[in-house]
Amino acid sequence: MAQQVSTNEIRGGFKVQVEGQPYTIISNEFVKPGKGQAFNRIKMKHLLSGRVIERTFKSGDKLDVADVSESLMRLLYKEIDGVVFMDEKSFEQIKIPFENIGETAQWLLDDHLYEVIFYNGAPVTIEPPTFIEMIITETSPGFRGDTASGRVMKPAVLESGAKIQVPIFVEQGEKIKVDTRTGEYVSRVSG
Amino acid sequence: MSPESPANRGAPPPFHSKNERLHDRASMLRATRHFFEQRGVIEVDCPILSAQTSIDAHIDLIVAFYRGKEKRYLHSSPEFGMKRLLAEGIGDIYQLSHVFRDREWSSKHNPEFMMAEWYRAGFSFEEMVDETVQFIHLFLGKLPYSIVSYRDLFLQKVGIDYLTISEQELMDDVQRRGLPFYPSVLEEGKEALLNLILGSEIEPQLGEGELSVLAYYPASQAALAKKRWHGQEQIAERFEVYYQGMELANGYHELTDPHEQRERFHEANALRLSLGKEPLPLDEAFLQALEKGLPDCCGVAVGFDRLMMLRQGQKDIHEVLAWGWGSV
Repeated sequence: MAQQVSTNEIRGGFKVQVEGQPYTIISNEFVKPGKGQAFNRIKMKHLLSGRVIERTFKSGDKLDVADVSESLMRLLYKEIDGVVFMDEKSFEQIKIPFENIGETAQWLLDDHLYEVIFYNGAPVTIEPPTFIEMIITETSPGFRGDTASGRVMKPAVLESGAKIQVPIFVEQGEKIKVDTRTGEYVSRVSG
Repeated sequence: MSPESPANRGAPPPFHSKNERLHDRASMLRATRHFFEQRGVIEVDCPILSAQTSIDAHIDLIVAFYRGKEKRYLHSSPEFGMKRLLAEGIGDIYQLSHVFRDREWSSKHNPEFMMAEWYRAGFSFEEMVDETVQFIHLFLGKLPYSIVSYRDLFLQKVGIDYLTISEQELMDDVQRRGLPFYPSVLEEGKEALLNLILGSEIEPQLGEGELSVLAYYPASQAALAKKRWHGQEQIAERFEVYYQGMELANGYHELTDPHEQRERFHEANALRLSLGKEPLPLDEAFLQALEKGLPDCCGVAVGFDRLMMLRQGQKDIHEVLAWGWGSV
């Protein structure tokens, strides 16, 4: 029998299995009207499709824990239909189709490390590092004298193909740090 | 409220640090004691730990062991100890007490929290509502309030007459609206469905720009309130106060009949059994006190920490406590 977890213990980030599908918990709201039965409204994101659903459970009910594990693997190369990663200890190689990678595909760079998510023992998707350093391959030159506020932004394309907004003083060819959760520019990287 | 009470010193300052919040808490504890002193209500401190305690189907108690083997309960409210004192003729009393509830931990719940509970002999239900509102004003300023009955509230907010609707119609309604529900609610019946609708659809809308007093509950949800007939509807003289979707207070015109009290204990224990929970021992000393005679009175319990959350603009109860559950 699958390991179970009570709705009282579930916190954001837990991996559970609901109606046979794997989900990551986004939030768990405990509701207890007056002297009545308590219940939990739980928001969760499908591990593969990213679709967000909300379900109500009686407080204290148990959910199955999804058999999910993570392993840090190196991106070797991209193919037309997927991306090949290698386990650095066993040198075992696996391929994950683009359809499972979804929007994360914009953060893929050869020879970088990514968290590969395994569900029931099989690799299903990946998570990029929270912060990633990349070179700007395309952006228009900034206008001098317009940098005082420091808040003026312009579009830029990164070496992975991601399109983000960068401050106007950042130039093409520079290396910058990006937050992959929000797609926001963080800082320049010197050297 | 007197001019010199701490809450009257204008708008509360911004509460950036925990120290500022705890200083403000200290001033509100002082203001609370001042409020009751001015009204001739005296402070008592009934025990937190006892061999018998209140019996609620949906309140789980935290257990402690004396000498490692004798079972004691951390109280979920100082109610029974206080009512025993009332039966002794002590007069009007209040208790500012930490109370405990198992498995209640969220941004609005801490398993250990502070309750201000008081009893007023000879007060009418309406007088008790009014004094509760005045107490809340101490923390949140002079907000207007309105009283709505449970039946009217369901009619207004969701178009359901709880009294006449059948369980099946209610379930159909829940499904038609696409309200979230949990599977076992079907077996638990009408009360559980009403509770679900109240919690998920109605409560979040209560207390917008005013204090909402939800009063005259169905007799089936009386807890320890007196029941009476209102036309075809048997109601409980029970009220709750809400502000910004948050429940702040629960009050009763108190049940004083020892036989009915014993029956309600048995009903609560039967419901606990049906929910797979263990029944709790009856507090015979409390029942004896009712035999001796509890004066006709009203009582209310107010969540002190939630008042502090609203006063200090905090979204998480743990921000207003010295140390929240996650840090003890």
